[in-house]
Amino acid sequence: MTAFHTPAGRVPAVDGVSLSIERGKTLGLVGESGCGKSVTAMSILRLVAAPGRIESGRILLERDGRTDDLVRLSEPELRRVRGGRIGMIFQEPMTSLNPVFTIGDQIAEAVRLHRDVNPAAARARALEMLRLVRMADPERRLDEYPHQLSGGMRQRVMIAMALACEPDLVIADEPTTALDVTIQAQILELLADLRTRLGTAILLITHDLGVVAETCDDVAVMYAGKIVERAPAAELFADPRHPYTIGLLAARPGGRHAGPLKTIPGMVPAPQDFPTGCRFHPRCAFARIPECAAAAAALQEISPGHFVRCPYAGGLGEPRPCAAEGAPRPFATEGAA
Amino acid sequence: MSAEYRPGLAPLVDVAGLETHFPVRKGLLRRQVGSVRAVDGVSFAIPKGRTLGLVGESGCGKTTVGRSVLRLVEPTGGSVHFAGLDVRATHGEPLRALRRRMQIVFQDPYGSLNPRLTVRAILEEGLVVHRLGTPAERLARIRAALERTGLTAATLDRYPHEFSGGQRQRIAIARALVLEPEFLVLDEPVSALDVSIQAQVVNLLVELKAQLGLTYLFISHDLSVVEYVSDEVAVMYLGRIVEHAAADAVYRAPLHPYTLALFSAVPRIDPARRRRRIVLSGDVPSPARPPAGCRFHPRCPLAESVCREIDPPAMVVAGHLVHCHVAARELEQAGGDAAAASRMLAERMARPASGTITCGGNS
Repeated sequence: MTAFHTPAGRVPAVDGVSLSIERGKTLGLVGESGCGKSVTAMSILRLVAAPGRIESGRILLERDGRTDDLVRLSEPELRRVRGGRIGMIFQEPMTSLNPVFTIGDQIAEAVRLHRDVNPAAARARALEMLRLVRMADPERRLDEYPHQLSGGMRQRVMIAMALACEPDLVIADEPTTALDVTIQAQILELLADLRTRLGTAILLITHDLGVVAETCDDVAVMYAGKIVERAPAAELFADPRHPYTIGLLAARPGGRHAGPLKTIPGMVPAPQDFPTGCRFHPRCAFARIPECAAAAAALQEISPGHFVRCPYAGGLGEPRPCAAEGAPRPFATEGAA
Repeated sequence: MSAEYRPGLAPLVDVAGLETHFPVRKGLLRRQVGSVRAVDGVSFAIPKGRTLGLVGESGCGKTTVGRSVLRLVEPTGGSVHFAGLDVRATHGEPLRALRRRMQIVFQDPYGSLNPRLTVRAILEEGLVVHRLGTPAERLARIRAALERTGLTAATLDRYPHEFSGGQRQRIAIARALVLEPEFLVLDEPVSALDVSIQAQVVNLLVELKAQLGLTYLFISHDLSVVEYVSDEVAVMYLGRIVEHAAADAVYRAPLHPYTLALFSAVPRIDPARRRRRIVLSGDVPSPARPPAGCRFHPRCPLAESVCREIDPPAMVVAGHLVHCHVAARELEQAGGDAAAASRMLAERMARPASGTITCGGNS
């Protein structure tokens, strides 16, 4: 549970989120803007800034049979974890790299913070990392500044930095969202390859369901601060059970225009306006009123490894036509093809 | 390049050989030392009531094409005709009259609406500029435009910051519609929106086009959205259109190696729609120094010596236009069968199995 204590009151951005990732696996965390996926990532690193605070919960990190609870670690201990045992790749490679240092210096700095090595060895490690992320012409790039690199190359530098200390876990927050699809393909291929070779676990945060489908082993779908569905990737996409997941998958255009796209009426509520009961019920095509408005649903395991936060996930019944407030009018499209 | 794709209907918008070069100046005297060829010989025609999807990656010039057509940036060459009128030769009052008929919706609904104006003032601005109607008539038109985009009159006196991204984009669309245009340039209209909201706005745009008989130039990097809304699709790379055909033809049988790579790179949810991934090496070159010959040759796995020297001319087979030496030959060998040629090209471009992405242990 991570909440922000603002003058307007307490805002619960992340509410009872449980995730686990095995070594060498990729977990996709998907959801729309404001669902709490980035705050989840920041919470894992204990980087949530005031007025935000982790109010409860545990964050366990295992290595060599020893388990640490990051919530209980002191700030100096945390600094060894951040960038050391957990690497981080942010969305905006331009703003996450320091413009006044060369990329070689920046990667070497990450190495020296966590390893007892001399500057020459750190620089050698930086070069090795640039080779690992298949940077073209790595010797020259080492002495260049971020502005001299393209978006794809900057993201490779971010990945090199995140992996320089051989972390157990890499948290990648929208790592390819700012990139073009052909460059995205290069970066995703690189991440998958490094995961296999180094055995790193990856938490991939994204809004792109296609990226998740192609790169993740498991998927967790977040809505309004809670996980609403969690399953192995193949199962989630073949058999989505939560009405929100179903709606999200149906809203993607797939092919030529043939009738209007399925939509989810309304919009994602802000954390201070979370509805009572199931937080999705005002937008849900399958909602049963008053039951869904009265009680929050628990995450249930409906088949091995497949969890859904909806008591009716076993049999949703027929969706009702959308009539929620703010929904677009029903369409009368004819001859629009 | 004068060859272009002609869908056989009288065009509402007709663009030929469009060039928009931006000067690069240096030194004390700001002498021009070169130019960025953002748009470098683009031709297309859009018949009334149709949608042309313009796709390509950042920096390919697709946004500059949209702005050049409306003369929001001044083209440096070529011609633009709208309903038979020469847009580039029009000035003053006639140009203003023309602009009422051609409107634009921008990508970022946060940046494109003036935060200090109410929705009513935002929508009224165009009507005032074009001296349309009495105040009462203007209000009626504003209400009608808002209603068309699914907003109520209650929004009139509110400010942009009070709305979500999807609602703001509806306001931006209403602002374009209030002038009753015939042609809309939609520049990444849904790219900044979440998936569930994106579907709402895409539906709205499709519905409005049918109701009002609008013509769209739909600019986007999102290939799924473009496939859904477009009648025809043109693919841009480094200031040029490299492929242009009916949407079905481009998506089912892409012929340009760049189009093939682009489509194969889109991550798909449905395994049945996945293509064998073609991962291109390197980045897009600078439009200030485009490569000689075919502009795609430095990244093209199929490039031959001819590609480095000769800029490929347009080849049109059954309404499918492509600028590529290799595709042209492949098409000839396949006896004009675009689908067969497309399969052959994809086959040749895909790398050996060791380079494919593994997904959950499955290749």
